[in-house]
Order: sequence, then structure tokens, then C-alpha cells
Amino acid sequence: MGVLYPSQEWCDEWKRAINANPMIKELGKSWGVGFNGNLVFQIQPGAGLEDTAYVFLAASAGQCTECRIVQDLAEVDYGFCVTGDYADFKEVVKGNKGFMEGVVKGVFKIKGDSLRLMRNARFVKAVADTISSVEARYLGE
Amino acid sequence: MPTIDDFIRPREWVSDFVSDMGRALRRWGEERYVPVRQQIDEDWREHKLVTPLLKEVLVDLGFNAAFFPAEAGGTDMPQPTTVCAVMAEELARIDAGLATACLCSIWGLVPILLPPHRNMELCMEFGPKFCGDQLYVGCHAMTEPASGADIENFGRIGGKTIQTTATLDGDEWVINGHKLWPSNSGEVGNLFVVVCTTKRGSTDPNDFALILVPADTKGVAVGSPYQKAGMSADMNSDIWFDEVRVPGRYRLHGPGDDLKYWKRAITMGNIGSAAMCVGVMKSVYQIVKKFTSERFVAGKALKEHSMVADMLCEVAILIESTSAWMWQYARELDHPEIYGWEPWDERFVLKTRGLALYASNAVERACSRAMDFMGSYGYAREFDIEKHWRDQKVIGIWMGGKGLKTLENARYWYELQTL
Repeated sequence: MGVLYPSQEWCDEWKRAINANPMIKELGKSWGVGFNGNLVFQIQPGAGLEDTAYVFLAASAGQCTECRIVQDLAEVDYGFCVTGDYADFKEVVKGNKGFMEGVVKGVFKIKGDSLRLMRNARFVKAVADTISSVEARYLGE
Repeated sequence: MPTIDDFIRPREWVSDFVSDMGRALRRWGEERYVPVRQQIDEDWREHKLVTPLLKEVLVDLGFNAAFFPAEAGGTDMPQPTTVCAVMAEELARIDAGLATACLCSIWGLVPILLPPHRNMELCMEFGPKFCGDQLYVGCHAMTEPASGADIENFGRIGGKTIQTTATLDGDEWVINGHKLWPSNSGEVGNLFVVVCTTKRGSTDPNDFALILVPADTKGVAVGSPYQKAGMSADMNSDIWFDEVRVPGRYRLHGPGDDLKYWKRAITMGNIGSAAMCVGVMKSVYQIVKKFTSERFVAGKALKEHSMVADMLCEVAILIESTSAWMWQYARELDHPEIYGWEPWDERFVLKTRGLALYASNAVERACSRAMDFMGSYGYAREFDIEKHWRDQKVIGIWMGGKGLKTLENARYWYELQTL
């Protein structure tokens, strides 16, 4: 059946998947050390999602310390913000399309220190690859 | 107030993310490389300054890992031509020699790195080295003492001038030959992608072979670097192969496919060269803009004099025209589903020669005119124009020079039969 994306249950599963991955821990050992490595995903409405949803991912030293639904960007302290449409995020969560592919093609917009992203590109990609590991169901379907 | 980011770069094709990556590289360059840039020419032999900076780009900023598959530890970036063009432009704006060293580290691996013709076995074997924490540098060994342009001119010469041979002995390739001038040779390169023939004198495409040779393989010897007019961050020397043995699996693909996918590398080399020319020209733009704004003659800024404005206009429109052309070709290469040609199509090789030729003429013109109007400041090291003027000449000479670029481009557009 799967957990609803996005939801707190989905966030809990994603956090588990990230922390269960030893490669992420190794690649991300310097992520968030000396800078704010927290990410917020701003999921814009459409394709079944009525209002903008926000998923906050706190990450530091290769570990996800927190993953939760928030109601507004102002609620959280983040270093990176990823914005995209629900329809496009759904394709990534389903595993049909790659997150990095979407970023490079401009489907998802990232705001944040791009030099940090470059230095940690493999970690970011490894985290992104776990998005499709959570069995999910979707609004509008 | 216009800046270098206002020159043509179609945002529908080059995402803000990729441009941001380029600007991140720019910031790195301003902080780490520019303070020592005027000392790099003296570092041509030892690379004491260059080596740690090369590591920062290739390892710390992930350039070496950019196109390796994720399973091999890489970042697997899509739209490789566009991404490379952005990086080439930014790096060359800092130092064309640095750009060359960085791009050439992975250039020879294009036939095995990029989908749909990845060689996963080789990616998995060498991925940990390129994607790890230690500096590991690739070198695309094409040119030989007797020929460089002839080797690339496969459409007419057919590879018959290649002297470096690869002979299959059991399950090993035995390599014999001599390469000269490849980027990242000398003591820099850790892995050579060697252009060989399996039958000397042959024009059969099946006899063209690309073989990986780790630099520490028995029988490999490298010479001292050559001191060049510019491009000192790129080390170029002789490489000798004397009964060098490597595993049979180190041939990148096999008969026919080696040549087929090598053409994609050549095309990307043409586009990358153009991107480097744009980067150099953008640096020239910044330098002459500042100089002609701050220097006053006859009561007004130099740029307010019509002859100077003529030069300034020419520099700007050379950047605009080269950029527009370059982004179009990068898009065509990255989107075969739209344009219909596979990225290894020989027609791309021929068409992009025109771009590379135009770009190398453009940057030569831009540097030369800028130096003219800067007078003695133009040939003084402190103002960096003279370095760009020396570096750009190498871009025009490599990959067959202006002669091959001219012939191959005319061959495509006019269906030449004998040239």
C-alpha cells in the first residue's frame, strides 16, 4: 500500500532509509560541518496537491537528524531550499526520474551555497537516490 | 551594469543550477587560483603550485567524478556537453591551462563514461580512483611525433598513420609506440587512454583501438615536460610504450565501436575548445572594460574614444556570436531525441570543427586587439592580457589545428570528395 507522499509517515521512512545507508554516512561525513546543511523541499501544488507542502530534512555529518513536515519556510532554519512541482517530485519518488537529472535540467530549483553542493555532490546524489526507496502512494491517484 | 553573465546563455537550455555550479567554480578560482596565476608560467616543470590546485578542482569540487555512474562512486551528471561547456568556460576564464588539464583528465574516457555506451566494467574498476579522495588524472594520448592532425582526420586518412600498435597476446594487449604532446602527460597522468592501431597502415575502422594503460605499468616511460608559450598548468611530454602489457578488458569497447564512440569525444573536444575560447574572451572583456574605464586620455575615459569603442564592440560581439553557436551545438549533442543525430555521429565532428575554428579565430582577434589598445600594459604580465594571448594560441593549434578544422568543416557543408 505505501505511505502517503508527502506526509510525516513518509518523512519517517525516508529518514530511516537515509540513516540505514552506510555509503551516505561515509560520503556525508563533512556535510553540515561548519555550515548549515539542512534542506527544505518546497513542493508546489498541482497533480492532486492542493497547497504547497514542505519537507524539512536536517542533515549533518552523514546522518539525518530530523525529517518532518512543516507548514512554512519560516518555521525552520535551512541552508538549502529545493523547489519543484508535486507532479515532478512524484516522478522522482516513484523512481521514474532522477532527482539530479531534474536539478540539472532546471525542473527543480536549488537555492543555497553552490560551492558546498559541488564539494558534496556525491553525498547529495546518494541522499536523493534514497527518495525512491520508500514505498509510497500519491495524492491525485 | 552588464557583466560577463549577460552574454548569451539560453536559460531554457542551461539551467540556473548548472550556471550556479559554474559561478561556484568562479568563486573558487578568484579565491584560490587568481592570487597565484601570475606565477604559474614559472611552475611549468615542477607543478608545485598547480598540482594541489588541480586536486581541488578534480577531487574536492568533484570534477573527476562528474560523469562516472553512481555505482562507481560518481555523480552521473546528465547533459554532459552542456555541463562541460559551462565548466570549461569558467575554468578557462581563470586559466586556460587549468581548464585544459581538468577537462582532459576525463576527456579520453568519454567513450566509456557516457550513456548509452558506458563500459560498466571499466567504470567500476577505475571509478574508485577517479572518484576517491586522492588525485588521479587521466590523459588522452593521441598525437604522435609524425602526426597529430592525420590521426584525427579519420574520414580521409583512415588511421593509417597511427604508429602505436596494440597486439593481442592471449588475454593481454601488448602496446608499443610513442606519443607526444598529450595534456596531462609528464608526471601528471595516472591513466593513459592510448589511441592505437591493431594493424599498422590499416584504414579499417575495426583496427582503430583505444586501450587504457595505467602510467605505472611496466614498459611505460614519460619524458620531461616541454616549456610552451603558454598553458603552463597543462603538462605535455613524450610517452613511450615498450612491450607494455595490459589486460584484454582494457580495450574501451572493441572493433568498430572504439572509433565510433571516440568521435563523440572529438566532438566534445571541439565544443569544449570553443567554451574555453569564450571563457578567455570573457576575461579579456573584464580586463579591457576596467582598463578603458579607468584610463583617461584627452579629458575622457579611453572607452569614450571611437577607435577604442570599435575594439570594445568587437570583443563583445565575438563573445556573443561564439556563445550562441556553442550553446546551440551543446544542445544538439545533448538532445539526440530532438535533433536526430546520435552524439557520436561523424557529421557532428565535421560541423563542430567550424565552431572550434571560429572560436579560436575569435579569441585570437579579441586578445590581439585588446593588447593593441592597452599599449605597454597589454604586454606586461601584471595585466594578464599577455597570458591570455599566449594561452589562446594553443587552443587554435590543437586538435588538428586550423587546417584540419577548415577541411573537415568544408567537407561537411560542401560534400568534398578528396579533401
